[in-house]
Amino acid sequence: MEARVAQAVARLARQENEIKCLTAEIERLKNFGCLGVSPSLEGLRDENAKLKYRLNFLRKSLQEERSKAVKSSMININSCLQELFGAAIQAAYPDLENPPLVVTTSQQPKFGDYQCNSAMGIAQILLKRMEQKISPREIAEKIVQNIPSNECIEKVEIAGPGFINVHLRKDFVSRQLSSLLVNGVQPPAVGRRRKVIVDFSSPNIAKEMHVGHLRSTIIGESMCRLFEFVGHDVLRLNHLGDWGTQFGMLIAHLQDKFPDYLTVSPPIGDLQAFYKESKRRFDTEEDFKKRAYQCVVMLQSKNPDFLKAWNLICDVSRKEFQKIYKCLDITLVERGESFYQDMMKDIVQEFEEKGFVQVDDGRKIVFVPGCSVPLTIMKSDGGYTYDTSDLAALRHRLFEEKADILIYVVDSGQSVHLQTVFAAGRMIGWYDPKVTRVAHAAFGVVLGEDKKKFRTRSGDTVRLMDLLDEGLNRAMEKLKDKERDKVLSEEELRAAQTAVAFGCIKYADLSHNRLNDYVFSFDKMLDDRGNTAAYLLYAFTRIRSIARLATVDEQQLQKAAREEVVVLEHEKEWKLGKCILRFPEVLQKILDDLLLHTLCDYLYELATTFTEFYDNCYCVEKDRQSGVVVKVNMWRLLLCEATAVVMAKGFDILGIKPVERM
Amino acid sequence: TIKNEVDLQVLHLLGPKTEADLEKKPKVRRKGRLKQKAAVVENGEVGTETLSLLEQLRGEALKFHKPGENYKTEGYVVTPNTMALLKQHLAVTGGQVRTRFPPEPNGILHIGHAKAINFNFGYAKANGGVCFLRYDDTNPEKEEEKYFTAIRDMVEWLGYQPYAVTHASDYFDQLYTWALELIRRGHAYVCHQKVEEIKGHNPAPSPWRDRPAEESLLLFEDMRKGKFGEGEATLRMKLVMEDGKMDPVAYRVKFTPHHRTGDKWCIYPTYDYTHCLCDSIEHITHSLCTKEFQARRSSYFWLCNALDVYCPVQWEYGRLNLLYTVVSKRKIIRLVETGAVRDWDDPRLFTLTALRRRGFPAEAINNFCARVGVTVAQATMEPHLLEACVREVLNEKAPRAMAVLEPLKVTITNFPALDVLVPNFPADETRGFHKVPFQPTIYIEETDFREDIDKGYKRLAPGQPVGLRHTGYVIAVQNVIKDAGGRVMELEVTCTKSDAADKPKAFIHWVSEPLACEVRLYERLFLHKNPEDPAEVPGGFLSDLNPDSLRVIDTALVDRSVLSAQPFSKFQFERLGYFSVDPDSSARKLVFNRTVTLKEDPGKD
Repeated sequence: MEARVAQAVARLARQENEIKCLTAEIERLKNFGCLGVSPSLEGLRDENAKLKYRLNFLRKSLQEERSKAVKSSMININSCLQELFGAAIQAAYPDLENPPLVVTTSQQPKFGDYQCNSAMGIAQILLKRMEQKISPREIAEKIVQNIPSNECIEKVEIAGPGFINVHLRKDFVSRQLSSLLVNGVQPPAVGRRRKVIVDFSSPNIAKEMHVGHLRSTIIGESMCRLFEFVGHDVLRLNHLGDWGTQFGMLIAHLQDKFPDYLTVSPPIGDLQAFYKESKRRFDTEEDFKKRAYQCVVMLQSKNPDFLKAWNLICDVSRKEFQKIYKCLDITLVERGESFYQDMMKDIVQEFEEKGFVQVDDGRKIVFVPGCSVPLTIMKSDGGYTYDTSDLAALRHRLFEEKADILIYVVDSGQSVHLQTVFAAGRMIGWYDPKVTRVAHAAFGVVLGEDKKKFRTRSGDTVRLMDLLDEGLNRAMEKLKDKERDKVLSEEELRAAQTAVAFGCIKYADLSHNRLNDYVFSFDKMLDDRGNTAAYLLYAFTRIRSIARLATVDEQQLQKAAREEVVVLEHEKEWKLGKCILRFPEVLQKILDDLLLHTLCDYLYELATTFTEFYDNCYCVEKDRQSGVVVKVNMWRLLLCEATAVVMAKGFDILGIKPVERM
Repeated sequence: TIKNEVDLQVLHLLGPKTEADLEKKPKVRRKGRLKQKAAVVENGEVGTETLSLLEQLRGEALKFHKPGENYKTEGYVVTPNTMALLKQHLAVTGGQVRTRFPPEPNGILHIGHAKAINFNFGYAKANGGVCFLRYDDTNPEKEEEKYFTAIRDMVEWLGYQPYAVTHASDYFDQLYTWALELIRRGHAYVCHQKVEEIKGHNPAPSPWRDRPAEESLLLFEDMRKGKFGEGEATLRMKLVMEDGKMDPVAYRVKFTPHHRTGDKWCIYPTYDYTHCLCDSIEHITHSLCTKEFQARRSSYFWLCNALDVYCPVQWEYGRLNLLYTVVSKRKIIRLVETGAVRDWDDPRLFTLTALRRRGFPAEAINNFCARVGVTVAQATMEPHLLEACVREVLNEKAPRAMAVLEPLKVTITNFPALDVLVPNFPADETRGFHKVPFQPTIYIEETDFREDIDKGYKRLAPGQPVGLRHTGYVIAVQNVIKDAGGRVMELEVTCTKSDAADKPKAFIHWVSEPLACEVRLYERLFLHKNPEDPAEVPGGFLSDLNPDSLRVIDTALVDRSVLSAQPFSKFQFERLGYFSVDPDSSARKLVFNRTVTLKEDPGKD
């Protein structure tokens, strides 16, 4: 008996011990102890933590540097001259209020490099306001006498009725070029870092993206890049159409077609067909229509099952959009209409409290001074409208995101609507236009080559993905026409193909004044003559190859940039040098008017000016027979390099990727 | 240690160093022809006649300078600015002695630190000065909150109050500004040598040593901004140290957040750079440190002077080491991990928390430090010397109680019925008595009864009565009750008043109506004196563990006088030793640690 008890006790002790061990083991596994077996894991975790710390640190440092990096900005020669002439006019005519200040580049070398045309305007004002009749020439002379001492003007001449022609100092231009080469392409000084929000692309869920969205996407992306380059903090918002009554019918249809959608992801490949089908049912089946409305209510009350359905549908679209964004190298933060749903009640309340709301036939409407159409902020059934959600978005961007500059890249058709929303925002005191810039960067429609709305032959809207695919095919054809496939490696050819295809589509869009309608033509955009991406890309690779053929490497160039003077004796050297330095001036203008085609025009001008220079000035002299390099004119290679870096930065802002060889 | 001593002797021989001396390779000087004196006092005799710590620290024996007279110290480097700086220093401190205890908050304090605490706090106290507790938290990787509080607890436990609690990290901004200045003055440069290249014998001088200051400033800025990876760049000071080490590192890159400065920094200063400057900021008069830092004395002076800031005097003293133990953090972690000890405060360790838990009074530890002395010599002590100090204090402080570790039930058949008064300190009855019950059933140690006796055996046996401590009774065996196996289960005895009986040969302790308790008995954790010494213990310290270092008796009995004792209360259990209540104790069951036995080598019959 005792022995058995002892046995049992021993067994019990053993089992208790085992339980302890197992409990400990479970604890260990809970804490990922199972992974602890790998000795490298701990090390990798450490490394990961360190990398995260460093990343965070570098971000902080970057911000620190940005906040005080203004000193290395590129000089905008035009605004320098404006300052000088502004001071001169002020000194000459201290009593004149807001005198006209006009400085432009001269069209011909004989008129100098820049000209100031203010004298004529001042003469007019003196005559009208003060009844003094003084000849513009006399005024010009007085202005010239008062120009403060400076480092950029060589001499001024008065020509014709009173034009002041400015000749720049060669050593000044040369120094600016050296600094550009040493410091890289720097943005013009734009003052303090601002928060910029660009609302662009903004397609609708469950509908195909069309060429209109393409314009918004391309222009918006490019604007963002420009604002980022000059040092602003840019938030790129995709104001997706992801909310609204159409989701009622989509969800109802989803429930019918895939009843187990909550557990099994529904295989909706073609969302457009799905949309059409549900639309058809909505228009024809009375029951379905009723149920669709119920679904809207359920969705708006945030019923989880309906939210899930909504999300599933949005995801299908999102994936499609993402493909296009990836092709075109577009970065966006998704923040669709749904994001603002819960804010709309407060918007209505705020307008009511401030006494701006009128009730008209059950609707709540807001009249905005200077705008013909009132905003409807609540429908008679209590629902909200685009007016409400756009007001909510505006408010959120101003107050939560604290935007200093807010730009809507939306087609011109929305102009009245957006201007009314902006005016309402000002009326209620959300922003002061003197402090905060809210702008509609409108654009015209895309036309087919027949000058009619861009459609497929069968009359459907053109699917964007098909368009991009066609672009790729056409680009390849073009490259093969030029027998580039025989020169380039497979990889280089493919890089050239995408660079040309997507570069051309973007450039064609950007190089036209966005306010005008524009004709979409693959033939034109792929032409390698004229103001096209194809031409510029070829020109760029050619410039890049000059130094390479002269076997001058980057280090030698850098050294030369630091030590050698960029000589600007030859007329074409001088022309090119000045053209290169107009880059900050061009950017500054775009920051003001948001017209990116100016940048395209400039790049085209730069490329042609370069060609003139290259045709007239030997960069590298070779022996005619042997082809051996006899002499390298380093200062000219520096001019090539400066042209190339400015072009590359221009491409970067336009979202075009140049290739080394094509 | 020998090299250090030689260095020290050389230092005395050649007199104060000038900056020119420091620039030279010190190799030449190290070949001193002096015979080294055995500076290591092993088994230093601890006599009770040693002067108290305060007396020692106040005495002339320490040839320390007076505040403001730093320049009178041998080896102190005087620059054209020294006198003005000292004047300023005196204006700040008013001539007060200022010391600091600067532990790294990356581990638990051990017995060696007790000496540093005693020396720094004690010296300030003895001279009417103040002592800072400064956490040397320059290394961001290891610091944990628990170490900060534990260190402060231990300082206070030893009976000292810091004048202020500071952190090296409090001064990071100032240190950084000084680093920029140091570069500007041409005394420091950014270096890209790898750690491996700097370490080892005769490392190649840095090829970046002579780069322009402007360049170093830019690169140092890049270091601060996170542009260099760890190990890709360091800031180094241009000086040669006593041991020939060239250009110690002042700053290195670490992508680790800091306990106190959060993610503000990714460069952290080193000990060599931080220590003297923190001392300078706090206007420390005497920067006391152990002798390993002697080789860094010149860099200490050099750096303060390179920046033209107040320069304290560094004084070195010998480290206190104890045999039969390990104190390094890494090794204790290994012991905890392998289960050899229960935790950092396992009473077999010599961390201060462990000693407190074991029941060592702070006073005893302070006395021990005083007896070791504050000489320059390194002292390596036997643990029994510390234990002697413990007994000395506990003899005075721990009241008596009786406990039986291996109880044997004894029934007194002719029981007289009474309570017994036990003196708290038998040597001094004015210190009170406590009452313990004395009932017919008592328990004695199993080993205090034998059936067969030999000549030397004086305790209870059939026919050999024994006295019961404090009762005034003698018991005699009447009947021995055994189990089937012949094992003695119980005794029946009769008692006689001691004045009516012959004087018994011995008195034993006993308990009646006792409390059950757990008793933990400790022996040395290691078998060898120097468990870390590969010559003595080739298998490494983990192979040297004493298998009998802990014995747990969970069926011991103790008298009721200890009933409401709080953790760390101390008692002398008659004939067994000094015991301390362990924090593991619960209301249901007390747990006692044996602090020490009553005598150094408990007699065994």
